[in-house]
Amino acid sequence: MDTPRPLNLIAELTYRCPLRCGYCSNPLDWASVRDGLDSDAWGRVMHEAAALGAIHVGLTGGEPTLRPDLREIVAHAAAANLYPHLVTAGTLIEPAGLDPLIEAGLRSVQLSIQDSDPAASDAMAGTESFERKLAFARAVRARGLPILLNVVVHRGNVDRVDAIIALARELDVERLELANVQYYGWALLNREALLPSRAQLERARLRVEAARAESARPEILIAIPDYHRERPKPCMGGWGQKMLLVDPSGRVLPCHAAADLPGLEFWRFGERSLAECWGEAPGMNAFRGEDWMQEPCRSCSERARDHGGCRCQAFALLGDAAATDPACGLAPDRSAILAARDAAEGDGIRPIRHRATSAS
Amino acid sequence: MSARADLEARLRAVGEERYHHRHPFNLRMHAGELSAEEIRAWARNRYYYQTRIPKKDSTILAKDGTDTEFRREWIGRIHDHDGEKPGEGGLELWLELASATGCDRDEVESLRFVLPGVREACDAYVEFVESHDLFDSVASSLTEMFAGDIMKVRIAAFEAHYPWVAAEGLRYFQSRTSQAPRDAAFGLSWVLDHADSPEDAARCVAALERKCEILWSLLDAVEAAARRPELVPHAEVRNDSAEDRTLVVLPERAVALNESARELLDLCDGEKSADALALEIAHRHPDAKTAYPDAHDFIAHMERAGVLACAASATAG
Repeated sequence: MDTPRPLNLIAELTYRCPLRCGYCSNPLDWASVRDGLDSDAWGRVMHEAAALGAIHVGLTGGEPTLRPDLREIVAHAAAANLYPHLVTAGTLIEPAGLDPLIEAGLRSVQLSIQDSDPAASDAMAGTESFERKLAFARAVRARGLPILLNVVVHRGNVDRVDAIIALARELDVERLELANVQYYGWALLNREALLPSRAQLERARLRVEAARAESARPEILIAIPDYHRERPKPCMGGWGQKMLLVDPSGRVLPCHAAADLPGLEFWRFGERSLAECWGEAPGMNAFRGEDWMQEPCRSCSERARDHGGCRCQAFALLGDAAATDPACGLAPDRSAILAARDAAEGDGIRPIRHRATSAS
Repeated sequence: MSARADLEARLRAVGEERYHHRHPFNLRMHAGELSAEEIRAWARNRYYYQTRIPKKDSTILAKDGTDTEFRREWIGRIHDHDGEKPGEGGLELWLELASATGCDRDEVESLRFVLPGVREACDAYVEFVESHDLFDSVASSLTEMFAGDIMKVRIAAFEAHYPWVAAEGLRYFQSRTSQAPRDAAFGLSWVLDHADSPEDAARCVAALERKCEILWSLLDAVEAAARRPELVPHAEVRNDSAEDRTLVVLPERAVALNESARELLDLCDGEKSADALALEIAHRHPDAKTAYPDAHDFIAHMERAGVLACAASATAG
C-alpha cells in the first residue's frame, strides 16, 4: 500500500490552556503530557511534513500562544513552505504581539469564542475572557489577516445562533464555523449537558440559511452532528490519510483522540523520522484502508465515502475500535447513540463539568 | 372600480414596481454612467433575448385557444422581429445597434458570448411559455405595456450620453416606441377579455411578475459581468509538484486548478472585468466552443470558494 499524502499537519504545541471548556477534546490525562519538542524540533517536523506533501499547518493545542517560542515555530513553518494557521482562544496575546508572528509568516487565525453572550462565554471558558477575545479579533482584522471564527455549538448556546452570526459580522470574519462538539475526552463526560435536541438544531439550521440569504459574508458552516444523523462522519477523511497530528510530546497520531485507543503503538518524532512515524507505525496502519473492517462496513457501498466512521467513537461507545461507528444507522449496536439522542430531547440546560488537571 | 379596470390597475402597478426600468443597470445606463465596455456587453447579451422572442411567439401561436383573429394579430410580432426579408426586422436592427456600440456583428450573431445568467433568464422565458397555457403566456408578454416609455428614455440617454454610438444604431429603439404600445394594447385587451374570475386575475398578475423577474435577472447577470475579480490577499498560489497541478492555498483549504483555470486566474488583476477576462480567454482559445461561459462559471465558482474577491464595476458609484 502506498503511504498516503498528509495534506494537513496539526501541530499540538502544548496541552496547557488558560481556558477550562467543558467540551475540550484534549485527552483526560492532558496534564501528564509534557511539551516535549523545542522550536527546532518543531522546525524539523515542519520540513519533514512538507516533504511528505503537507500544505497547511494548524498551530494548536491547548493554547499555542503559551509557547514563548511561537514566533520561531511560525518562522519554521513558513520556511518549510507550509501555510501557517494559528488556532487560538485569543486571550493571551496583546495586539502588538501579533506583529512578530505575522512578520514570521503567519497567514491566518482561527479564533474560538464560546458564546455571543459575554457571561455565558466566560462561564463556558471557566475564566473571564470574552472581551479579550473581541479585542484580539479586532487586532487581527486591523492587520489584514483572515479570521475563521469557531463557535462550538451545544444545547446551552445553539438557540443564540442569530446573535453569534451578528457578532461574526461585527468582527468581519471570513468564515464562521458553528462547530459540533466532538464527543471525546472532556466532551464525552459532559455529553448530556452538551448535545442539542434535534429541534434546536433544526431551528439553528433555518437561521443559518436565512443569514446566508442575507449576505454571503461571512461564509457560515454548520453541520448536523453525527449523533443526530443516520450515516457516520468520514472522520479525518480516513484514518491516517490526510491529517498528520503531532501531539505536544512528539507522538505522531491520525487524530486528536487516537492516543486513547488501547493496544495501538504510535511512534514519537525524534526517536524516528516523521516519514517512519506516519507511514510505518503499527498504530497508524491499524485502520488504514479497508482490511480492518467488519460487517456491515466490509461489504457496504458507502465504505469508501465514510470509512466506517470514527474509530475513536466506536471504541468510546462500544469498546471496540474496529466496530462500525454506532452513529451509522446500519451499525448493529446503536444503543449508546439512541440513548444519547433521547436524553437530548427537551430544552433544559444542564450543568457542565469543566476541564481540570484530572478527571477524577 | 370594475374587475376589468381593477386588473389593469394591478398590472400597471406590477410594472411600476418591478419592471426593469428600475434596475440599477438601466438607471446607470440612462444616467450616462456606463462604460463603453458595459454598453457593448449589454448589447451583445440582450441580443440573445431578441433571438428568443420569435421562438416564444411561435410557441404562443401553436397553443390551444388561439383563433384566426388572434393569430393574424400575433404573427405580426414574428414579422416585426424577423423582417419580411434579409436586412429587415428587429433582430437586424439589434445587430446594427450592437455594431454601432463597437461589437463584432458576427460574434454577436454567433451567440458564443452570451453570459450563462442571461442565457438562463431568456431560456426561462421560453420555458415559461412552453409550460403555461395561452392565457398566462399572453399575460407574460405584457411587459410591453412599459416598453414604449423605456425606449424613449433610452433614445434620449444615448443621444445625450453616448454620442459615440451612431444614430443609425438607435433604430431598434425607435421602432419599438410604436410597436410595443400597439402590441401591448392588443395583449392587454385580450387578457382583460379572458380574465373571468379573481383566480384568472391572480394568474395574470403572477405571469407578469414572473416576466419582470426574468428581465431583472437578465440585467443582474449583465451587471455582474462588469465586476472585477482579484485573488484574495491571503491566498497563496503554488505549484503542487507532487500531483502536477496548481493549488490556491487558503486558510484550512486548498483549491486545485487545471491549466486553463490557472491561465484565467493569472489574468485576474482587479482591473479587468469578468466579461473582459472571459472574452480574452475565449479569443485565445477559438476552438474551445464553451470557453466564454465556462470562464464566467469558473469566476463565479472561485468567488464562492473564497479564491477570488470582486470589486464592483469601475463605473458603479
